[in-house]
Amino acid sequence: MLRRLVLFLILMTLATGAFSTALAQDVIELEAWVAFSDHRYDWAVDTADRFNALHDDINVTMVSVVDYDTIVNNYTLGREDGTYPEIVQLFDAALQFAVDSDWFSYAETIIDGRDEVLGHPVNFDDIIPVISNYYTVDGIWASVAWNTSTPIMYYNVELLEQAGIMELPLTWADILDACVALQPLVDDGTISACATWPFSGWFIEQWLAQQNEYMVNNENGRAGRATEFNLDTDAYRAIAQFYRDLYSNGYFIFEGQDQWGPPTQTFISGKTAIMMSSSAAARAISEGAAATGFTLETTPMAYNQDAPSGWVGNILGGATMWISNGLDQAVEDAAMAFLLFFSNTENSASWHTASGYVPVRNSSIELLKNLEPGNEILWDIPSGGRVDIEAADWYAAFPNFLTASTQLGDSTVNNATRGSTYGTFQQSRPYYNGLVEEYMLNGGDLDAMIAETNAELTELLQEYNFLFADE
Amino acid sequence: MTESASSRFVFDPSAGKERPLWRRLIPQRWYAHLILIVSVVIITFPMFYALLISTQSNPEVYNHKFTPGSMFFENLHTVMVQRNMGRFMLNSFVIAMSIAVGKTVMSVLAGLGLVYFRYPGKWLVFGFVLITLIMPGDVLLIALYRRVVSFDAWPHPYVALTLPLLASATGVFIFRQHFMTMPPDLSEAAQLDGASPLQFLFRVLIPLSWNTIGALMVIMFLFGWNQFLWPLILLRDQNLQVVQWGMQSLTQNLEVGDNFGPMMMGVIITSLPPMIVFLILQRQFMKGFALTRDK
Amino acid sequence: MEEIAYIVHPAVVTLAGALLGALYFAFLRWQTQVGSQRVSLIVGAIAGAIGATMLTAPLGYCMFQGDQTSEDVMVGWIMVGLGLLLTLNIGSVVLWRYFRGQRLLPRGDTTPGAFRGRFGLVYALAVLSPTILVLVYFVYLPMFDTLRFSTFLARFGAPRTRFICVSNFSRMLGDLDYHSNLFLSFALSFGIIIIAMSLALLIASMLNQPIRGANVYRTLLIWPYAISPIVAGSIFGLLLGTESGIVNRVLDLTLGVKVPWLVTVPAAQISVVLASVWNVIGFNILFYTAGLQTIPKDLLESASIDGASAWQQFARITFPLLSPFTFFLIVTNTIYAFFDTFGLIFVLTRGGPTESTFTAMYRVYVTGILASDIGKSTAQSLILFLIVVGITIFQFRVGQRRVQYGNY
Repeated sequence: MLRRLVLFLILMTLATGAFSTALAQDVIELEAWVAFSDHRYDWAVDTADRFNALHDDINVTMVSVVDYDTIVNNYTLGREDGTYPEIVQLFDAALQFAVDSDWFSYAETIIDGRDEVLGHPVNFDDIIPVISNYYTVDGIWASVAWNTSTPIMYYNVELLEQAGIMELPLTWADILDACVALQPLVDDGTISACATWPFSGWFIEQWLAQQNEYMVNNENGRAGRATEFNLDTDAYRAIAQFYRDLYSNGYFIFEGQDQWGPPTQTFISGKTAIMMSSSAAARAISEGAAATGFTLETTPMAYNQDAPSGWVGNILGGATMWISNGLDQAVEDAAMAFLLFFSNTENSASWHTASGYVPVRNSSIELLKNLEPGNEILWDIPSGGRVDIEAADWYAAFPNFLTASTQLGDSTVNNATRGSTYGTFQQSRPYYNGLVEEYMLNGGDLDAMIAETNAELTELLQEYNFLFADE
Repeated sequence: MTESASSRFVFDPSAGKERPLWRRLIPQRWYAHLILIVSVVIITFPMFYALLISTQSNPEVYNHKFTPGSMFFENLHTVMVQRNMGRFMLNSFVIAMSIAVGKTVMSVLAGLGLVYFRYPGKWLVFGFVLITLIMPGDVLLIALYRRVVSFDAWPHPYVALTLPLLASATGVFIFRQHFMTMPPDLSEAAQLDGASPLQFLFRVLIPLSWNTIGALMVIMFLFGWNQFLWPLILLRDQNLQVVQWGMQSLTQNLEVGDNFGPMMMGVIITSLPPMIVFLILQRQFMKGFALTRDK
Repeated sequence: MEEIAYIVHPAVVTLAGALLGALYFAFLRWQTQVGSQRVSLIVGAIAGAIGATMLTAPLGYCMFQGDQTSEDVMVGWIMVGLGLLLTLNIGSVVLWRYFRGQRLLPRGDTTPGAFRGRFGLVYALAVLSPTILVLVYFVYLPMFDTLRFSTFLARFGAPRTRFICVSNFSRMLGDLDYHSNLFLSFALSFGIIIIAMSLALLIASMLNQPIRGANVYRTLLIWPYAISPIVAGSIFGLLLGTESGIVNRVLDLTLGVKVPWLVTVPAAQISVVLASVWNVIGFNILFYTAGLQTIPKDLLESASIDGASAWQQFARITFPLLSPFTFFLIVTNTIYAFFDTFGLIFVLTRGGPTESTFTAMYRVYVTGILASDIGKSTAQSLILFLIVVGITIFQFRVGQRRVQYGNY
């Protein structure tokens, strides 16, 4: 009797086991690695849940991997032992690595001319050109844009007015003029200095693009693999000189390389009148300014009025979602469908409200201009859910959120504004940023410094190419 | 040793004499209190400032408010619930405890092997262990990862996580030095009684070593608690992640700017478990233990 | 077979090593007047030849080949020197033990109370094996896996690598930036160790007095030790920002000054030292308090009866008896200062301003972990490793002479 019971139990267990495996096989499990772990991660989880609710047979799980560098490292390790996700968020600096690694299926290849995937429409034309062009490799749209930002200027309007500045500065010369006008406020202790912003290599990349200049040869690595650095340019010298002028006159507060917190804090507490930062900080800075009690206005990133080309355009920053290659057709389609959903008009608009990252679609901007009640777009950080935007026009209510989209929308698309792509991007940033830092702080022979750094960076780049480029 | 017992022996020139009024008004050893209070104020200032910020909102931090802010419970909620820190702390506690216990057991055994036996080349073995103290572990992580994942039958990811960390050069060093201070008569007597080395270890050495064990446990617990890069690359399941991972996700501010309140709330909360372990073990620790070296 | 052109022929290297070894051993023979002249010459030559080739031969003497730079050749000679240092030292110890009729390997130290019996080694290996196995498999093997890359141009994730002989090392030889990174590591570590240990000793001595509230003081003082270096960096970032930091805010309100803590030299270096001291001092206090407890009170008592002042008691009794703890702390603090501060530096200064806080380990971290440039990074970490081994051996040598062993 007992034996039969045991046998029965074993059979039951086996049967249920087989049954549940059979069930599980019907659901396509997708894992997506993202670099965020704050409210932006909450947004991604929420959006994945919305997608999962639409598809019984697909389950997307968001995994937070802390930061961009770790994602690249962990994905590389995961490739060795098969513990890599179907979808991964890679930042702009990893573009060349993503291409060279041969580990990803390009979005356009997966879509293969279809106009919808699992019911999610494909409409490339809707994506802002300078964004889709950044992630176009050899003419193929490679990855799906998600968090996209660009630097913009932030101004404390009351302080500027106090100094008699009625028009917001637009150029480097305007900023220097404004700083001269603001000097009395510094002298009487109202503010600590004219301007501050994070001392980041990203801004140098932006300013090169604005002046229609390349960071590396072969047209920023877009016309062919980059083999040499291109720092020995007037555009780069002008950037170094601009910083030197700002700093040596005491107009600029320097808080160290890549320190984003302290300058933001200084500006929000009303100690400087001018700040530059990512558009992704728009929400945080707006909320801070409101709490401190000053009027915040934004303009596009200030440009070099003396550049022969004038203002050409800006590069985007941020990261995109890549789909691992070697997946089954069904899995690949599911991943693609998810990314199309993830970046559709409503979600892109909602994502924008969560931080200030630009909506990647023109239709999202239109949507935000013509809102109806019950839109459920605004991301509410404390509760971690979507609520209605009450205004009919988001941008009329919060004009500072439009600046970044305008800047990218107005940008000419060429190989300067598409941004550079080369393998040692992340490694090189501290070099060309550090050079400007050193010149800003100590002055010196700029030409000699540039020649030395350029040679060093070229050597690193060629080493990379030697290891990665096809023979 | 109790306080009164130790104070009997301490040199005090005024003992037994009639003390002048000013000596009686000022606490005894006022200079010690003074130095300690100054040290405590300076050393704990960053922690108390972190505590202050943990109650504040970002704008309150920006504007340098010196009074407790309005966001204590919100920040606590953000850290413990939204950012799942409670879970990470539990994970880290399990990991840190396993590491602390494992390291201590292995170090005690190794100490026994390095002191209570005669064999040629003993210093070689000791050097072999000690030199690992200087190997920069963070550089080896990728190679270690490859070694660890090449074996794919780990019963649980935490086994793969902790096992490579269980050998401790510091622990071996401390126990070796500690055992060398033990009077040789102990093991002579044990041998006369026919005790095996392991019996000697459990019946004699360990009961005499609780101070050292306590001290080592505190250090090793903290070592486990502060693990960050290794779990970060090894663990694929977010729910298994550790407390420093949680801390990092609170401090990371990609493009958007810091959230100071939750960040400092995290600092304070995650510093508490090691302190509790220390408080539990400090009676052992404060009895003192001896270190010595070859004679 | 293709003829390889050498700048320095391997035979020359071997002969030079042999000659040096023979000379050194002859000198030792003359100095000690023990053993046979001929045997010491022969053994010295063999040890020298092995020393000169043991590091260069596995790389195929590539650093001496015609297409290498003079820096590569110099690295080659340094490798010869390191090999000689190793073999001549070991060889001479072994040979003179033989000459004196001692066992070749020391019979273990004669620990009183060691277990007798023929299976000592077996038993010892059994209890040591967990530690040794874990170290071999999870520390030594990964170490060798990693060090293999130090002679390669290698990047994490790259489809191929390239053997580049000792270029990763010779590059450092001429790299002034790297030299200043190394110098900085020494300078900062020295500052951290001196300040963290002397303050800890002072504080621990005060804690050791029979005073009320010692427990509370102690607990509070150890608190920062519960913070990881990276997080310590975040806290100090909040404290020390030029405009945003609370320290300058207070200084500005009270004294009307602002110190650019993190963006000028030497303030940034001082800030890094102070933040590191803050982070590690709890550990030192912990050990010094434990150490102070072991000092026999009767010694101090009899000293005071003899009329020794408090300072004399400290200098003549307490401090010497604490020397094993001091020694232990110097070693562990050195390792902390050299290897563990990079996270703090990353958060606090990014090695700036103008690389003034760019330590050697921070360079290893930036090159290897952030930039995935594994070849260079492992070469740098190997150099760092050798340096810290050197420092530790030096500390042991000095320690051997200075450390007092209380027989209590």
